[in-house]
Amino acid sequence: MEKLIIESTANSPRIALDPESKNFEFSGESRPENVRKFYLPILEWLEAYTAEQGKLTDAERGFKLQCQFNFEYFNSTSAKYILDIFKSLNAINALGIGLEIKWLYEEDDEDMLEVGQEMSRMSKLSFEYIKSDA
Amino acid sequence: MENKNAIIDFEGSISFETMEKLLNQLKSANQFNSLRKPVRKRVYGTVVESIDNIFKYATPYKNKGPSLDRPPQIKVKEQNGKFIVSAGNLIGNDQVNDLKYKLNLINAMDDSELKRLYEEVINKETKEEDRGAGLGLITMAMRTDEDIRYRFDPAGPVHSYFTMQITIKE
Repeated sequence: MEKLIIESTANSPRIALDPESKNFEFSGESRPENVRKFYLPILEWLEAYTAEQGKLTDAERGFKLQCQFNFEYFNSTSAKYILDIFKSLNAINALGIGLEIKWLYEEDDEDMLEVGQEMSRMSKLSFEYIKSDA
Repeated sequence: MENKNAIIDFEGSISFETMEKLLNQLKSANQFNSLRKPVRKRVYGTVVESIDNIFKYATPYKNKGPSLDRPPQIKVKEQNGKFIVSAGNLIGNDQVNDLKYKLNLINAMDDSELKRLYEEVINKETKEEDRGAGLGLITMAMRTDEDIRYRFDPAGPVHSYFTMQITIKE
């Protein structure tokens, strides 16, 4: 499956989903003009990826996906789609594929830490919280 | 001693490009940059949500005749050491009761109740319906220790001018 790379802009995050290296990265600011239009292809890519993994044998699914979330800021409309991304990751995890989810937040940005904890609780996925220097 | 110091004082049509300009204006203000990072992000986020609300709910002010010629506004000021974000826009009177209900509900909630409502709303809203059932308002309420202050002023037979004011928590 082709990787999905979307470069960041002043109002939209960088997305890098690479099935080969098994690294998924989300970083930057998320308040695109049309939030749905921005996130729908990402959710569709994740859906296709999940379907593809579903065809693998149990042994082939014995790997871990490294997922890194390094958001500077996201608006409330983006939050809905980010939660949908975690729900997609949950579906991948249900196939037996391991997940290592890192939630980065800037030192003293307690709101970003808290929203990560809420996303983890709502999606029932474990996060590792990492202070970044930025 | 009262210190009224406006960082943003905008009145007029708000497009996505206008929002970019206003956010850049905010980011280049010394008062803004001297804030503690979380407070800075709360101010920034509240401005974004306020403008998003205008995009989603406001009645376009120029199409309805001169009696409704009252443009949207967005203001950020520092007052007595606190940052205050205020926004105003025309809305249809049919939206007033619903908005009042949501604001009163949110204002009456403590932090844990707001989190519960946030979870309920974020899971209820669908991808097809981007207007939102108040997730922006809930997010703004989480960034203040005070009530969201609001008022509705009559603006013609079927419209009101809605203003709200949020004092950002330190």
